[in-house]
Amino acid sequence: MAAVESLPPGTPSAMRNAFGTVLSALILVLIGVLAFSIRLFSVIKYESVIHEFDPYFNYRVTQFLSKNGIYEFWNWFDDRTWYPLGRVIGGTVYPGLTLTAGTIWWVLNSINIPLSVETVCVFTAPVFSAFASWATYLLTKEVKGSGAGLAAAALLAMVPSYISRSVAGSYDNEAVAIFALIFTFYLYIKTLNTGSLFYATLNAIAYFYMVCSWGGYTFIINLIPMHVLLCIVTGRYSPRLYIAYAPLVVLGTLLAALVPVVGFNAVLTSEHFASFLVFIIIHVVALVYYIKGILTPKMFKVAVTLVVSIGLVVCLIVVAVLVALVASSPTGGWSGRSLSLLDPTYASKYIPIIASVSEHQPPTWPSYFMDINVLAFLVPAGIIACFSPLSDASSFVVLYIVMSVYFSGVMVRLMLVLAPAACIMSGIALSQAFDVFTGSIKYQLSSKSKDNAEDNTSTKNAPKDDASSGKTDKGEEVSKERSSKKGKKKEREPAEKLSVKSKIVKKKALVLPLEASIVALLLLIMLGAFYVIHCVWAAAEAYSAPSIVLTSQSHDGLHVFDDFRESYAWLSHNTDVDDKVASWWDYGYQTTAMANRTVIVDNNTWNNTHIATVGTAMSSPEKAAWEIFNSLDVKYVLVVFGGVIGYPSDDINKFLWMVRIGGGEFPHIKEADYLRDGQYRIDSEATPTMLNCLMYKLCYYRFVETDGKGYDRVRRTEIGKKYFKLTHFEEVFTSHHWMVRIYKLKPQKNRIRGRVKKLKQKTSSGVSSKSVKKNPWM
Amino acid sequence: MADHTTLPHRFFLSISLLSILAVSQPDLTKELVSLRSSSESGVIRLTDDTVSKFITSVSTPRPYSLIIFFNSIDLNSNPLQEFRREFAFVSASFIANNNNRSDVANKVFFCEIDESSDSEAFGLFGIQFLPQICLVDPLMENLQDKTGRMEEEDVDGTAESVVEFIESRTNLTVGPLHRPPLLSKTQISVIVALIAISTPFLIKKVLKGETVLHNSRVWLFCTVLVYFFSVSGTMHNIIKGMPMFVRDHEDSNKLVFFYKGENFQLGAEGLSVGLLYNVVGLLLAYVTNALVRVRSVSGQRVFMMLAMVVSLLAVKKVVYLNSWKTGYEIQTYWPSSWH
Repeated sequence: MAAVESLPPGTPSAMRNAFGTVLSALILVLIGVLAFSIRLFSVIKYESVIHEFDPYFNYRVTQFLSKNGIYEFWNWFDDRTWYPLGRVIGGTVYPGLTLTAGTIWWVLNSINIPLSVETVCVFTAPVFSAFASWATYLLTKEVKGSGAGLAAAALLAMVPSYISRSVAGSYDNEAVAIFALIFTFYLYIKTLNTGSLFYATLNAIAYFYMVCSWGGYTFIINLIPMHVLLCIVTGRYSPRLYIAYAPLVVLGTLLAALVPVVGFNAVLTSEHFASFLVFIIIHVVALVYYIKGILTPKMFKVAVTLVVSIGLVVCLIVVAVLVALVASSPTGGWSGRSLSLLDPTYASKYIPIIASVSEHQPPTWPSYFMDINVLAFLVPAGIIACFSPLSDASSFVVLYIVMSVYFSGVMVRLMLVLAPAACIMSGIALSQAFDVFTGSIKYQLSSKSKDNAEDNTSTKNAPKDDASSGKTDKGEEVSKERSSKKGKKKEREPAEKLSVKSKIVKKKALVLPLEASIVALLLLIMLGAFYVIHCVWAAAEAYSAPSIVLTSQSHDGLHVFDDFRESYAWLSHNTDVDDKVASWWDYGYQTTAMANRTVIVDNNTWNNTHIATVGTAMSSPEKAAWEIFNSLDVKYVLVVFGGVIGYPSDDINKFLWMVRIGGGEFPHIKEADYLRDGQYRIDSEATPTMLNCLMYKLCYYRFVETDGKGYDRVRRTEIGKKYFKLTHFEEVFTSHHWMVRIYKLKPQKNRIRGRVKKLKQKTSSGVSSKSVKKNPWM
Repeated sequence: MADHTTLPHRFFLSISLLSILAVSQPDLTKELVSLRSSSESGVIRLTDDTVSKFITSVSTPRPYSLIIFFNSIDLNSNPLQEFRREFAFVSASFIANNNNRSDVANKVFFCEIDESSDSEAFGLFGIQFLPQICLVDPLMENLQDKTGRMEEEDVDGTAESVVEFIESRTNLTVGPLHRPPLLSKTQISVIVALIAISTPFLIKKVLKGETVLHNSRVWLFCTVLVYFFSVSGTMHNIIKGMPMFVRDHEDSNKLVFFYKGENFQLGAEGLSVGLLYNVVGLLLAYVTNALVRVRSVSGQRVFMMLAMVVSLLAVKKVVYLNSWKTGYEIQTYWPSSWH
């Protein structure tokens, strides 16, 4: 290392450095291509289509933005959803993703590349995955040199956990947020290493982008203060730390408050308090260091004793006051939220809505193997590598992995935040291992050949030469690390340099046996190969289904079920533009985005009463349901039914949630009425309430005509009530595989023949007065 | 006794009869009281013999009611034993609250029957599932009768549910529950005093930079520990309250350590796989950081071979366990001509 540094430019070593730079640039390009292309399985296997539910909303917002411009978007009040309430889109979304894709679309169009908004949206996530792996390279390079950086970038390019959220078509906030997260961390480390205000400012801007993109930004604004605190406690305070932290808090908080969905939360909620507390602490510490500089040691000691004793008394008084305040408040001073932060089991015990979501479950060990695969084996080695020696930058990544691995243990969703940390750690471990093994091989091979060729005098020099060239060759990392840390090195004491030098002198002899190194190298390569196979498999099989188009492989070939798009297309072609469509909230985003029709509820589940109203209607008998829907101006009701083809996540399987949510607001709906001896069934043993509710009727209407028996392939049973007629609804559309069925509300019957118009109003008021008790919309 | 009479009704009736009949069987009550005072928190352990002595061979109406907790040590279930402790709190609180009213305190006795040691007595009640609590009131003759049982949905493992059950069925009041505090007052004051005394010394040490916090080995150890516990899925085991292992359904001597199915895991399972996850990385770190400094080449060779064999086996084992547990088979995408 030191040998390389002392060489003047123009020597073979400098050439090697230049070659290394070009090579690593090439590798980075390839990594970008890999990250992009591994996410294209969904497009190849299916087609270029937006996936699932939430991405459809983001897509619709992007469409609006590209059509109407930023100001219209910022002030957009959407009347197509939550009818009749509507939703203020501009103030309730994280705009980062939409603005990013909108900008990309705008740039492409202005240089005459006419891509559709949908294509841009589909490919935003893979593009940002490439960016994320480059950001990982930069971050890891700051920590352990560019060899580790390249390894980490390659690992991140294909880590399954991240692929699951960023395949082509998965147009969701996480797609850009992970890039923003890693890039913010990189800039923080860069500032910490260089002490440059330029990077500090960039860091605040990157943080702003992260706040724009994802609610997960709170992870950053808690992790960085924790690192600062850690540095202070372990005696690592330096002016660089101050420059890295203070501007971030001031600028970052100001910028965060500009995002409408965050606004004053940036200073008012408990998630941000840690950063302000550390902000105060770092100032106190900076003051102490300053005073220490201007006082003599003896004076300083006196001052410390004075301040500490006064401070202790003040602290005791404050603590006593706080204890008294907490004790006097009825809840013990803790809100549910802060309790669930301190005690992860709290939420699962007392907040069922959190506990019921599968994303919020704690993961088991196979989840780790599925999501980070062999990285789970390599991380401990990476941690140890970061501790030898521990620097400001490596202590940050250690803290990052500890926090993220703990949180991922509480909630499987946070595995996504763990993935970059695991990649960085594994990259460091792999790079170090390759370094040692190839170094040993190269050193021994060349020393053997030199032994044969030359006499003893030359062998004396050979090891030194080889050791250093071995280093530079395989990882330009070492020299790069140096160049990136130049600023940092300036401030280090000369003593440290000495120790580095002495280490290098020792390192010449640090080799492992030749054959063992070769075997170990082969094993590591096999491990890496297994990782690649696993990732490709996960990308191709596990995470690429768009869930809007379904396929099934059977002995007579591939079946494609495209019923959803068929039905949304039917809606948009056959209904009036202002018609209202009611369905369970899962399909709200898709209906507004694909059919462009007004919905009653959607996936942004902000109004429980509204959802409960739809749930109540679905659980009520036909007439009562008709009254509720009619009062909401609903023209069409859409249900999803999987009984014909065996699609398990249909409305009949979700029906108990509709009953529960409906019953939560309107007590005349009781779950027990729908269960026979505590069991949910739809066969002849089902309760009369179940057999007469709207959901049952809309799903199973004319179902018996499909096979003559009415055999439901999801519930694996014959249905209970096979022949019935609808009185208040009429079937208008059933998709090819019966997955989506659309019904129209029948018009009210005339009481007297003729004179329709005159009597219409009277009849409607008569109907509504009856339903007043059960219907909140009257 | 007609079947349609409600339980509280039967209880009143029995109380009124008790005053007449109590005289004839005073010894049994006395015996129960002595049993109670000798047992921990007042829960009497009923055996096959005592069940027949106090329940089946006594003519109704008996001068006392029994509240029986059905337990099974063999089942090795943490929630069940926790519920048993809650039951003991209720018993102790009841005795403490009615200490000076022997007419109330000697009417109800808290008992326990363990399935593993007294299966005969257990079988008399025809219990189908655990945990279960049964009130044997003075008039109860058919022990299989379900009217004395706690409703299935009311059994939620808390002392409050037991209190509610007793109060609704017997018209007695248990009174406030006395749970032992986590720390006694003297303990708290000693801890506070210790903290207060040690604070100045701690601050001095922190300022000097001599604490364990400044030792990077401590940090390293803690980091690896947190990683180990997280990848083991320990939070899953804590939040869901999974036991370390369970007994096999068919063969009660056989222990099951590994649960098949992705969504659950047992404690021992998670820890052992967590160990496998960690051992590979730690060996690799040892080889690359420490072994290179070892002078003896043959020592290096032997250790490396050993480490590689262990790592290979660990990875293979995890891959095998993963495909066994989840049922996923990873496709390798070799060219089709290779098959």
